[in-house]
Amino acid sequence: MNDEVIASENVIKSFAGRRVLDSLDFVVPKGQIVGLLGPNGSGKTTTVRLLNGVIAPDSGRIKVAGYDPQTRGDEIRKRSGVLTESAGLYRNLSGSENLNFFAALYDVPQPNERINKLLNDFGLDSAKDRKVGTYSTGMKKRLGIAKALLHSPEILFLDEPTTGLDPEGTRDLLEYIARLNREHGVTILLCTHLLQQVQDLCHRFIFLSNGRVLEQGGLAEIEAKYLVEIRLNVETDLVVSEDTFAGYPISERKPGHLVFRLPGKTAIPRLLQEILKQAAVYSAEVTGRDLETLYFTIRGESH
Amino acid sequence: MNFKALWAIAVKDMRAIWSSAQIWMPMIVVPFIFTLVLPGVLIGVSRYGNLQDLNMDQIVRLLEKLPRGPLHDEIFAWKTPLLQMLYFGLNYFFAPFFLMIPLMASSIISANSFAGEKEGQTLESLLFAPVDILSLFVGKLLAALIPSLILTYGCAIVYGTVVNLGAGPIFGRWIFPSANWMMLIFWVTPWLSLMSIFFTVLVSAKVRTFQEAYQMGGLVILPVLALLFTQIAGVLFLDTVVLFWIGLGLLAVDGILIKLLERYVDRNQLFESQVG
Repeated sequence: MNDEVIASENVIKSFAGRRVLDSLDFVVPKGQIVGLLGPNGSGKTTTVRLLNGVIAPDSGRIKVAGYDPQTRGDEIRKRSGVLTESAGLYRNLSGSENLNFFAALYDVPQPNERINKLLNDFGLDSAKDRKVGTYSTGMKKRLGIAKALLHSPEILFLDEPTTGLDPEGTRDLLEYIARLNREHGVTILLCTHLLQQVQDLCHRFIFLSNGRVLEQGGLAEIEAKYLVEIRLNVETDLVVSEDTFAGYPISERKPGHLVFRLPGKTAIPRLLQEILKQAAVYSAEVTGRDLETLYFTIRGESH
Repeated sequence: MNFKALWAIAVKDMRAIWSSAQIWMPMIVVPFIFTLVLPGVLIGVSRYGNLQDLNMDQIVRLLEKLPRGPLHDEIFAWKTPLLQMLYFGLNYFFAPFFLMIPLMASSIISANSFAGEKEGQTLESLLFAPVDILSLFVGKLLAALIPSLILTYGCAIVYGTVVNLGAGPIFGRWIFPSANWMMLIFWVTPWLSLMSIFFTVLVSAKVRTFQEAYQMGGLVILPVLALLFTQIAGVLFLDTVVLFWIGLGLLAVDGILIKLLERYVDRNQLFESQVG
């Protein structure tokens, strides 16, 4: 398919006899933000390294931007920006010296203009002449992302981009990522173990565990597959003495709240209509629908 | 080869020399001792010292071991033992000391440039960039070779000035540079610096920190100390011919070291062995 920017087919990778990736299969469509999700050690970083051709797979096929990372790696590396977990910056150089150096490596046209814009975008203007060794973790992370964006890459690999950032920094960064994708069509592979943070940001998700892809797809797609039962927390005056109402079991009773177990989303309007015939409804919320619960559901099923 | 990236890497690493006193300090102290202090003391003693106090016997015995030939003629063209001793000391005896300058400079700079990249977790960033590995290596090699050669040539000028100004009046003419010095500086020094760099790169691949690479890299001083002692013992004198062969030998060693380094000139190999 032409709209796949990244495709990994049956990729296996071992280090010192230990299998880190086990028949890794996934695709990243062009122009999407895809979350590569999994706990530490699940193979996210190894995946990014393989996709950029800095390490070789034991077997399997990889295509990034139409190129094989092993034979045409530089073509991929020209088009991709990578933020590694350690950010990989020179501590004894200043922020702008770091960017100048990498701008030369990536052959950035009009580097000064680009560097000033990025320093400004990431709020590092006033710190640009300070040595990176004196930066806070959040500043290093921001400079690392600026570095990854120097050459305006088509594909961006972000490995745990929010670790070390405060809540405000995290929010700003996630907004910036969304804008980059929206305005410039940058395809983004975002590796993280912080599932809640990226739930609303990503178009698609790849769940990784022990080097295997457990599931992948859009949230709705995955939900449809795994969310066989949902819980609806209804804020209502309704008083029910039985264990069920309108045929739906009540799993929990709290003052002013009833929690129903429903077979699917389609049951929600029907249940609410029935309640409204007898009492007022102030709010209704599906619980246990977040990415994390979904992840654990999928992981539980695969074990 | 990607010359823009290569030069950017070289410039970055050359600038890093000033980042730590541990790197630039030896590059000031060692040349200071070998280009100013040692010849200065020798010349000072010769010119102003009480010559009766000087025990010339040992030096005379050493010089007597000189085989008949151009070097013998060159030295014994000077009539007094003092002039012979001074000429021999300034033009031959100090030569191995002088070799320590490029050796030390290229070893320290390349330890910082290679092991430093690993220690600072920046090698990963370099390998993710669209730069071929050979350009990366050559950039780093130049980062050590250029300062090492500049320092050596700068020191040769200082040394020559001290020798000619200090000892010139005694000899009645300038005695520096002699042919063996030209051979030393332009033929031996480049190959020696390269050997030191290659050796340090090999060491850097095996250790984790700059500090370890720096200490292990210091081992390259040993062959120079050996030269020093063979000369003291009168076994080998560093005349032009000997220096030519030494240079050729170093060139061969460089070739062997390049062969050993070849396997690291591969992105995957480098990444898997050097990035955690």
